[in-house]
Amino acid sequence: MGKESKTIWDRLEDIPREVLYGILIITFIMPMLFPIGFPVPITPEVKRWYDTIDKLPNGSVIMMDFGYSGGGEPVLGPMAVAVYHHIFKRGGIKVVVMSTSIEGTLLFDKVMAEVNPAGYGKKYGVDYIHIGYIAGTESAMAAVGKSIRATTTTDYKGTPLDQYPIMQGVNEAKDFDLLICYTTGGDQSEGWVRQWYTTYQTPYLCCVLAMMVPTMLPYQKAGQIVSLTSGEQAGQMELLVHVPGRGIKSADVITMTHLLCIALVVVGNVAYFGKKFSGGKK
Amino acid sequence: MSMVFKRNIPIVLVFVTALLFIMEYFVTIPGIDFKSAVTTVNNWGIILTAFTLGFGAVNLFILHTRHISRRTKGQWPFSLWMLIVIVLFTVVGVSTGATSGQYTWLYSSSYFALSATVYSSLGFYMTSGIYRALRAKNVESGLLLIVGIIALAKNAPAVASGLPIIVPWEAWISAVPTTSAQRGIMIGAALGALALGIRTMIGRETGFLGKMTEAEKGG
Amino acid sequence: MFVTGRIFALGMLVAIWIFILVGMEMAKKAIPTFRKLAGLDALPEMVGRAAETGKPVHFTTGLGELNTMMASQLIAGLSVLSYVSELCAKAGVRIIYTVYQSQVMPIATELMKAAYTIAGKPEEFDADDQVRYMSGEQFAYATAVQGLAERERPAANIMIGPFYAESMLFAETFYRIGSIQLAGTARGYQIPFFAVVCDYLLIAEEIYAAGAYLSKDPILAGSIRGQDVGKLLALVMMIVGIILTALGSSALINLLKM
Repeated sequence: MGKESKTIWDRLEDIPREVLYGILIITFIMPMLFPIGFPVPITPEVKRWYDTIDKLPNGSVIMMDFGYSGGGEPVLGPMAVAVYHHIFKRGGIKVVVMSTSIEGTLLFDKVMAEVNPAGYGKKYGVDYIHIGYIAGTESAMAAVGKSIRATTTTDYKGTPLDQYPIMQGVNEAKDFDLLICYTTGGDQSEGWVRQWYTTYQTPYLCCVLAMMVPTMLPYQKAGQIVSLTSGEQAGQMELLVHVPGRGIKSADVITMTHLLCIALVVVGNVAYFGKKFSGGKK
Repeated sequence: MSMVFKRNIPIVLVFVTALLFIMEYFVTIPGIDFKSAVTTVNNWGIILTAFTLGFGAVNLFILHTRHISRRTKGQWPFSLWMLIVIVLFTVVGVSTGATSGQYTWLYSSSYFALSATVYSSLGFYMTSGIYRALRAKNVESGLLLIVGIIALAKNAPAVASGLPIIVPWEAWISAVPTTSAQRGIMIGAALGALALGIRTMIGRETGFLGKMTEAEKGG
Repeated sequence: MFVTGRIFALGMLVAIWIFILVGMEMAKKAIPTFRKLAGLDALPEMVGRAAETGKPVHFTTGLGELNTMMASQLIAGLSVLSYVSELCAKAGVRIIYTVYQSQVMPIATELMKAAYTIAGKPEEFDADDQVRYMSGEQFAYATAVQGLAERERPAANIMIGPFYAESMLFAETFYRIGSIQLAGTARGYQIPFFAVVCDYLLIAEEIYAAGAYLSKDPILAGSIRGQDVGKLLALVMMIVGIILTALGSSALINLLKM
């Protein structure tokens, strides 16, 4: 008995992985090399994020957590950059940064190199500061909420905090007007809800990976998070602040790859039903 | 005596530690500083972790030197490379410090770049997973297919712009069934963890200690 | 005496404790039954498949750490590891447990050694080969496990514990090499990925019930019954809360804030 030849339905139903990945790579690369310029609508959650920062009164202080690792940098980095552009352009807002991720200080330097605060006339220690990586995730958040100086007395460079003008009068959660967290880990995004929002009612903006959004949605629906966005929406933020960067460049790639996934799903289902109705083995 | 060390002492330690953490969270008693006790226990945990890191490193060395000495096919060059990298990081880290420019450069140009690469490879796996999984073989998978396509379309900026009808659909799917299901999972998981914690505290859940052998049972 | 804002939570905690303890006592008189968990019932089949093919079984508890909130999921995973180790020892199948946090190594070594001893084959357990510390960094661990999958080609892959982004990496890699897979996690972010790829799935609280389910201990089963009463209480509170809020009352909300 010879080997049964594969029908077109068999081939479409079981496209080799190598072919799939090859098509995917081309779909990634082509829009990067030849931008298409697909429209990028601004979603309500990004607009709410933008408005929340925009409506802060002058003299407000933001606590910002760089809680993502190097693996999440391509996704969350552009959002962090766009938000910093917004904060510096808006003016009158100070930012105290901490990291619940061990790579957070490196990522902060990377973001600052891209933002170039000096271009906005912003100075380290006056307009923004990084108080370093603090181990313990939720216990770090709780400790910082009670007293920054009891948790750490220096910034990430080792300089005493009291030497910086920005830290005057800033020591606990009540001294902050807004909390922003970028993270690839649910422990951080949920931890801030428990440790800061629940205890101090600090308004909270959270940016996570797209796959984490459904699990974090209950917190937004319950009003514990003001705006929940994903790093993939960085392009929208860049449009709002009028500083195009890596986010908007990725928007075409995101559209094309999503369309490819939809096309592959349709092909798979057409093949499945084609095989079924042509009397093939299920 | 073996039973005392392998069972009873760990169970007592678990009970006392758990009770301490619970008391610190819920109760304040004048004159008793739960917070310091909890901080001390946390610090002990950190110190233990640091010591067991050495244990892990020793295990790595034993396993991979075994591969190198046996010239395990397809494995030994990688084992050799791994040991070289461990030694390199250790020497640079100890001699220049973990926050030095040299160590930072070594870390960011190797691990940092590699972890971003590996994270990005998830996209490929997800694509092949989606292609295989979203097939309307029955009612449930048909529903999954429809919801999956709506979610994919909404998250593609241009598609959402060209087909605005899917935005409120996806918003409803996220706000109602997804959020409800996630809340149910969260509540169930929290109660499950609570029950496991209680069983562990009272010594009924000893799976993590391993089963008792006949010698330990005294039989 | 009690910390403000946590009194109600303490009350709920004590209530659920009571339900669980009462459930355990009642189980001494009448053993409760609970629904089948296909994934756990399939464990002997998975080990049997490994025995037939002469390939090992891979077990991982993900990025479980003993000193974080994820410790409970790690403990749940270790309970299943103990059971699977005994099955593997009896069947003569090599089980490889890959470790993320080095603290877990001595615990895993002891429980696997005990499992082999109970199976009557203590000499077959090789801790250096079967309990492998890979790395304490997420993606280094993930790629190490993927490398192990490619080289050892396990017939079965069991993943129970807290998983992060590496869940899909593991699931797809083991799927590609043809392993039969059981996955269980209480981290809601990763459940969909496991659901899509793995053969068997334990969702959230099912991993915590695994130890009780596998041990067939009636008293542990009673604790699951008590936990279910707690769930019923949460459901009743939700319904009462909806009704009260619809009527304009914030009584329940104020109670929760106590």
